Amino acid sequence: MAARTILRNEWRLLMADRPLKIVLGLFVVLLGYALTNGVVWLRFQERTVQATQTGNAERIHAFGQELEAIENGAEPSSPFADPRSPLVLGGPSGSHTAVLEPGPLTALAVGQSDLLPYYYDVNVYTNESSFHQNGEVENPLNLMVGRFDLTFVAVYLLPLLVLALSFNVLSEEREQGTLALTLSQPVSARTVVAVKLAFRAFLVAGMVLAVSLLGALATGGFGSPGRLLLWSATIVTYALFWFVLAAWVNTLRRSSAWNATVLVGAWLVLVVVLPAALNAAASLLHPLPSRVEMITAQREASNDAVNRRSELLARYLEDHPEMAEGVVADEPGLGALSWAATDAVNRRLEEVTAEHDARRDDQIALVRRYRFLSPAILAQEALLDAAGTGDARFADFQFQVRAFAEQWREFFVPAILAGEEMSARVLPDLPRFRLKDEEPAEVARRATVPLAALGGLLVLVSTGAGIGLGRVRGAD
Amino acid sequence: MTESPTALLEARGLSKDYGDTRALDSLDLAIAPGEVYCLLGPNGAGKTTTINLFLGFVAPSAGRALVAGLDVSTHDRETKRLLAYIPEQVMLYRNLSGLENLEYFAALGGQGSLGRKRLTEILVEAGLERETVGRRVSAYSKGMRQKVGIAIAIAKEADALLLDEPTSGLDPKASNEFSALVERLRERGVAVLMATHDLFRAKDTGTRVGIMRYGRLVTELSTAEIGHADLERIYLEHMQADTQANGGSP
Repeated sequence: MAARTILRNEWRLLMADRPLKIVLGLFVVLLGYALTNGVVWLRFQERTVQATQTGNAERIHAFGQELEAIENGAEPSSPFADPRSPLVLGGPSGSHTAVLEPGPLTALAVGQSDLLPYYYDVNVYTNESSFHQNGEVENPLNLMVGRFDLTFVAVYLLPLLVLALSFNVLSEEREQGTLALTLSQPVSARTVVAVKLAFRAFLVAGMVLAVSLLGALATGGFGSPGRLLLWSATIVTYALFWFVLAAWVNTLRRSSAWNATVLVGAWLVLVVVLPAALNAAASLLHPLPSRVEMITAQREASNDAVNRRSELLARYLEDHPEMAEGVVADEPGLGALSWAATDAVNRRLEEVTAEHDARRDDQIALVRRYRFLSPAILAQEALLDAAGTGDARFADFQFQVRAFAEQWREFFVPAILAGEEMSARVLPDLPRFRLKDEEPAEVARRATVPLAALGGLLVLVSTGAGIGLGRVRGAD
Repeated sequence: MTESPTALLEARGLSKDYGDTRALDSLDLAIAPGEVYCLLGPNGAGKTTTINLFLGFVAPSAGRALVAGLDVSTHDRETKRLLAYIPEQVMLYRNLSGLENLEYFAALGGQGSLGRKRLTEILVEAGLERETVGRRVSAYSKGMRQKVGIAIAIAKEADALLLDEPTSGLDPKASNEFSALVERLRERGVAVLMATHDLFRAKDTGTRVGIMRYGRLVTELSTAEIGHADLERIYLEHMQADTQANGGSP
């Protein structure tokens, strides 16, 4: 009964508060803009994926036609692009593009999808340097500040709105004198504050969730109900964390101005400073090797390999005796020599990139170890995982592309070494990349950690707020 | 634990310390239904502390505050159901109308079923002009807010009324109307505890007065047995006696 009364009063107070209505309206506009951004990015990604798939089919078709024509006596269109050569059919002009389909909720969280490549042109020359490049031309401002998507609004701006709505949830009642009259009624401060915050939380989280569900509806996100549930649970938990933190600060019996200062300070530390400090610490403690170093190593290895091709081929065949069949050791073809040089460059690159990857892993490990300090990091991690645009899905995609590149090499390298010619008959047998996307259970298992940690922080601040509210009396 | 069913408001050895300062010292008090008890005394005498203890706004350092025999410390909600409270300055939600404020506080007090018509009548009974009940409280004077506070107390139909200098800032006409209202509530059997500086109002409205000084109840008088001048004289005597006892400092 008391809860219903307080809820009705909150609604009246909201309806009578024009500035607050303007702020809420502005927030809805921001949500709409963020969703639009996400949808625009998703559509762009879908078009790119479609184009790559069409490109794969068209290349095979074109090669098939040319190979058939050559078999019927026609000359190749260019002696340097003769599709009978395995270095051509399996090389850059015959690349197969391996694609990561957009995450199920990409429209809600662009996440890493505009930073990490979601497609790779795989050919026999694909090596580690291929995984350290991003071919997409991106707006530098987006790269610097990230895209203005729903995740950005939820992680960075939602706490500010929550704080604007709740920094004075109790102090205002005290300052305007209504607390004494309220608490002279048979209702506790805990009930009053809990219902007030529940109303505001319902309003704020409800707006974010409504826009999220709208976005999911428009982009097919309802096909992944588990991810949508995880997304919603993260939004609610994160919003509640900030509401309850505000309640806790309110129980310290200070002025509204003091509450606002402390809460904005908390936002600054937890949302801005801590994540930035963690990134800075990771870069400082585990600096990544210079990209220039990688390029220089690749160039040096290339020059060296070209000069020692015969020696390298002999060593390669020693290491890969299964590939030696058909290779004329005394008079190796140009293809075999070229491949030996390529392999030597790849090995050198693996050494350089292994160091890079190890440092990168150290950085990630450091951030993961201390992410529990910042609810913003936890929320972002859970939201991106829910959307399918987090690190883990991209890492898994890259892992599968590496395996596919190996499969591609295994298909073409024996022919390269043996100097064999390819025909139209091999085309149906060409390896094709088929992504094995992560299972919902895997996503749930991974996202449980940040979500549970966020829940733990919520329980912690709830305990503090609960104890503080228990001490609130009308004569404060 | 239910005790002394005849007294609606009862203090037993009630004390309150704020650090080293004793704000209330072993107060013993019993107010029966239909009785108006006025606490007189200068600022800091312990009047508001007494009311706050009955409301459970502060916890006693010693002794007990009882409402209808129920200890306030252990029966917070039950005792608040029996109490209505009007502070010195009734502060309301400024963006809501007087009627909306009354609707809210009455519902919180357990009178959610009162319709708008009845609530408007209560506001008028409390002295508010009918045409002002729908206006925002931000446009109300202090006296008008005080009348809404009175209406909240009336609507609650409480057994006991705690008034903390309720006529402070009211014009004479409003003060007089307020006294009449308290009289009507007394006739209905409501027990009233009123802290006030107004000796005239205490004599006029109260059935008993208690004079407090430095947290102690120094004397109790029946208003039926004394006149206005007697009350003023006795009050001043106590103030002067205490001043002398404290080496001239008030």
